[in-house]
Amino acid sequence: MMKKRWAFLLLSVMLVVLSACGNNANNTPNEGATNNGNNGNQAEKQAKITLFQSKVEIAEALENLVAKYKEETGNEVEVWGSAGDAYITQLQTKLAANEGPTIFSVQPGAEAEKFATYYHDMSNEPYAKYISPNMALEIDGKIVGMPIGVEGFGLVYNKALYDPATVKDTSSLVKVLEQFKADGINGLSLSQEAYFLIGHIINTPFALQEDPVAFIEKLNKGEVKLSEVAEFQEFAQVMDAIRANSVNPMEITYDTQMGDLATGKTAIVHQGNWSYGMLADYDEIEIGMAPLPIAGNDKLAVDIPAGWVINNTASQEQIKAANAFIDWLYTSDTGKNTIVNDFGFIPAVTTIEPTELDPLSQEVFNASQAGNTIPWALNYFPQGIIINDLAPLTSEFFLNASMTPEQFLQKLEEVWAKAAK
Amino acid sequence: MSKAKNGVVSTLIVILALLFLSPIYIMLVNSFKTRAELYENVLALPASFSFEYYAGAIKKMNFLTVFGNSMYVTVATVIFVIVLASMTAWMLVRRDNAMSKIIFFSFVATMLIPFQTLMMPLMQVMDWIRTYLHLPVLNTHEGLIFMNIGFHAGIAVFLYHGFIKSIPIALEEAAILDGCSTFGVFWRIVFPLLKSITVTVAILDVIASWNDYLLPSLVLSDKGLRTIQLSTFYFFGEFTIVWNQAMAGLTLTIIPVVIFYSLAQKYIIKGIAAGAVK
Amino acid sequence: MSKKYGNLWYLLFTMPLFLIFLIVVVIPFLIGIYYSFINWNGIPSSPKIFVGLDNYTTLFQDQRFIDSAWNTVKFTVFALISVNLLGLIFALIVTAGFKTSNVARTLLFMPNLIGGLILGYIWRFIFTDGFKQIGATTGIDSIFFNWLLDPNYALLALVIVFTWQMAGYTMVIYIAGIQGISDEVMEAAKVDGANLWHRMTKIIFPLLMPSFTICLFLTLSGAFKIYDVNLSLTNGGPIHSTELFAMNIFNEIFGYGNYGLGQAKAIVFFVIVAIVTITQVIITKRREVQM
Repeated sequence: MMKKRWAFLLLSVMLVVLSACGNNANNTPNEGATNNGNNGNQAEKQAKITLFQSKVEIAEALENLVAKYKEETGNEVEVWGSAGDAYITQLQTKLAANEGPTIFSVQPGAEAEKFATYYHDMSNEPYAKYISPNMALEIDGKIVGMPIGVEGFGLVYNKALYDPATVKDTSSLVKVLEQFKADGINGLSLSQEAYFLIGHIINTPFALQEDPVAFIEKLNKGEVKLSEVAEFQEFAQVMDAIRANSVNPMEITYDTQMGDLATGKTAIVHQGNWSYGMLADYDEIEIGMAPLPIAGNDKLAVDIPAGWVINNTASQEQIKAANAFIDWLYTSDTGKNTIVNDFGFIPAVTTIEPTELDPLSQEVFNASQAGNTIPWALNYFPQGIIINDLAPLTSEFFLNASMTPEQFLQKLEEVWAKAAK
Repeated sequence: MSKAKNGVVSTLIVILALLFLSPIYIMLVNSFKTRAELYENVLALPASFSFEYYAGAIKKMNFLTVFGNSMYVTVATVIFVIVLASMTAWMLVRRDNAMSKIIFFSFVATMLIPFQTLMMPLMQVMDWIRTYLHLPVLNTHEGLIFMNIGFHAGIAVFLYHGFIKSIPIALEEAAILDGCSTFGVFWRIVFPLLKSITVTVAILDVIASWNDYLLPSLVLSDKGLRTIQLSTFYFFGEFTIVWNQAMAGLTLTIIPVVIFYSLAQKYIIKGIAAGAVK
Repeated sequence: MSKKYGNLWYLLFTMPLFLIFLIVVVIPFLIGIYYSFINWNGIPSSPKIFVGLDNYTTLFQDQRFIDSAWNTVKFTVFALISVNLLGLIFALIVTAGFKTSNVARTLLFMPNLIGGLILGYIWRFIFTDGFKQIGATTGIDSIFFNWLLDPNYALLALVIVFTWQMAGYTMVIYIAGIQGISDEVMEAAKVDGANLWHRMTKIIFPLLMPSFTICLFLTLSGAFKIYDVNLSLTNGGPIHSTELFAMNIFNEIFGYGNYGLGQAKAIVFFVIVAIVTITQVIITKRREVQM
């Protein structure tokens, strides 16, 4: 008797375990397929969609935006969250499990190529027409992504300490750095994070090549000797001058780098317009952004950091809803307002006039309006190379004073060929 | 030992323990500082103790909801793990045949696999279960609990297995002679003897499930389902960390487990005292 | 004995957990083995090309992988010793019956409650800013400098952080073991005139053998699999000198997008670790039996 009762209890435990997830079986996946009721109506009820993106800084603003979207149109967008460096891993794993988001963001170049089979072709969508010239995310001549905005980087400097008008080439930059050292000021500061250590600054010599993408392909195959390319020689000279005259970048984090700039201990940092937010807590100083004057370069590196793409494996209804949302984002007052004021993005579409940009973003916007820019060639580097190969090599260069600039370039070729395999 | 000596040593132990906790000091002081203050000196005390970053973190994380979600997932996971793992381990010890050895070995061996190499195939298996068995294992708390049980099974079985071996069989044999069923023997005789190891398993499992980030981040997508760990993502940009709110958020996430631990550890001692039978 | 519990009961008791475990851990692991024989970038729609054992031959020529294996071994050996030594000392102290034992027990366990990446970030403040300040004020800058910039010290820093986190964890298990030693045995030993050292080596340690088995295994598997702290404290640097196994595999899979090669590395890693830890378990288990 007792035996049976226990057996029954045990069995129920098992059943609970196995069906623990079964109780709400009918209301989950593909909400989209079910709730697209009244078709053909003007104020059409769209399917619920999901949105996944990598910029943590705008996460909260985005959540507020979709709340307003629901108020205005009655349609639902679910915003997923992810810590910055875990984004791609999560995206990839979720796509593998057919749990992909409807809209997601990708960086142009290698990352965009990686997920290329997932993009809905936006070429004929009405909002594709709003994209500013050359700012679309394109694959094989098709527009597949809406630019989230424009970003730029270069030498971010303290106007009280540095005057870019006097520095137009590598040799004068080196001289200025030597002078800063004599004055006890950290001249040009990099920081230990992979992109801020090497990823961004090495963009300039690549972007200055006639055809950066073709150049990178040749380098991948090991057909280029970097030490024979003038822009790279000068780049290595600048790196050498930083090592000789500035605080070791490996001792500096992004936080201390910007703190040193804000407190006048550092004159110049190699950074982008996004770094302005880091200065918020400090007493205000006048800062500007200037080109890295390698080989006489007089242009900022400006490009779109990422684009919104629509997942073509989503249901038809969801793709339709995603199109409606993107259109609303770039045409409604709420959407436009949010992009500029809450996201703090420099718009890359013709429908939005920027207002009240911060000083760094203003300079980037001016440069892009004037066409006075070089592209982000780094987006076309082999996948993972900046974090896995270039940053370790650069840290070796900064920690090991006996490595010459020539050896640095030579090692650069070696690790590049390995990573590109 | 004299009373005075005991007092001196006791104080010394606490001082050493506090020194051991200096990283927690860093966490606490920096949850009160602005970015500029932190830049000036990481180790110094804050200029003022205002709880604005705590308030900010609570609001951003949607603390009450995510706290409830974490509680649900953790409590359910731990209960299932304790019930199932203790039963499994007991049977494996008491029937020590080839099958038991294989099962035990696979539980233990898979504890060595780094999760990062399992996550992609795991998600594919879950997708398969959802598509063909129509069980919503993805994007539900129950699905996460199910996977947690699988991942925490190894260590729990391992711990129970080691402990059960030291329990004399005599009591069980007597109970069987008295006409107790196998189920009765386990729950009435054996399980109460396992109290102290159960509390240990519970402590370790609560922490594992409370602190987990990677698995929940893959399984749970919707905002309303987020656990306490998932909701801290707001503070971690690709390059920038909102230090004050991140530290405040961290403090908030560990307080519940600290309370749980200081309550639970009493039972380890009590359990042992009660289980002096052996 | 085994006759007493029938086959049906056997299955009822073991299968629920084992089935879940099979679905969640074993099957994905087997799929992972399959992936180690193919060339694939990890995107579902991309082609999967069967390459046989190519991935396995490639990885043995991968110097960085071999280096990371060696780093992992060094790290694990140091971590194993320091975690268990400290955990055992903690456990002995807090069970010795001092007034503050309960407080100390909670305090010593607290590091274990801080999970994941942020732990590494906090320690980074200590090894960079903290050590610099101590070095500057005390003048002992041969010890107190930025440890994370020196390959050997950076690995040591990882050991310290791991120890800090895990010592409390093993302490809990050692406490359970120590509490299990009956007071009568200890009293009897005292009456017989055994001094502290004798009580330790002749009674406590042998009776703690099951706890040793468990703690050594847990530390070993934890140390071999370490990832979060590795990422946030040193990120493998300086110059790959602290890139451990799990990080190397993760970078291969998600950094370079070589899914098959990464899985092959994981399999090789698993086999090595399994051999080491199972040897360890067999050795310590044998000692338990002798006792």
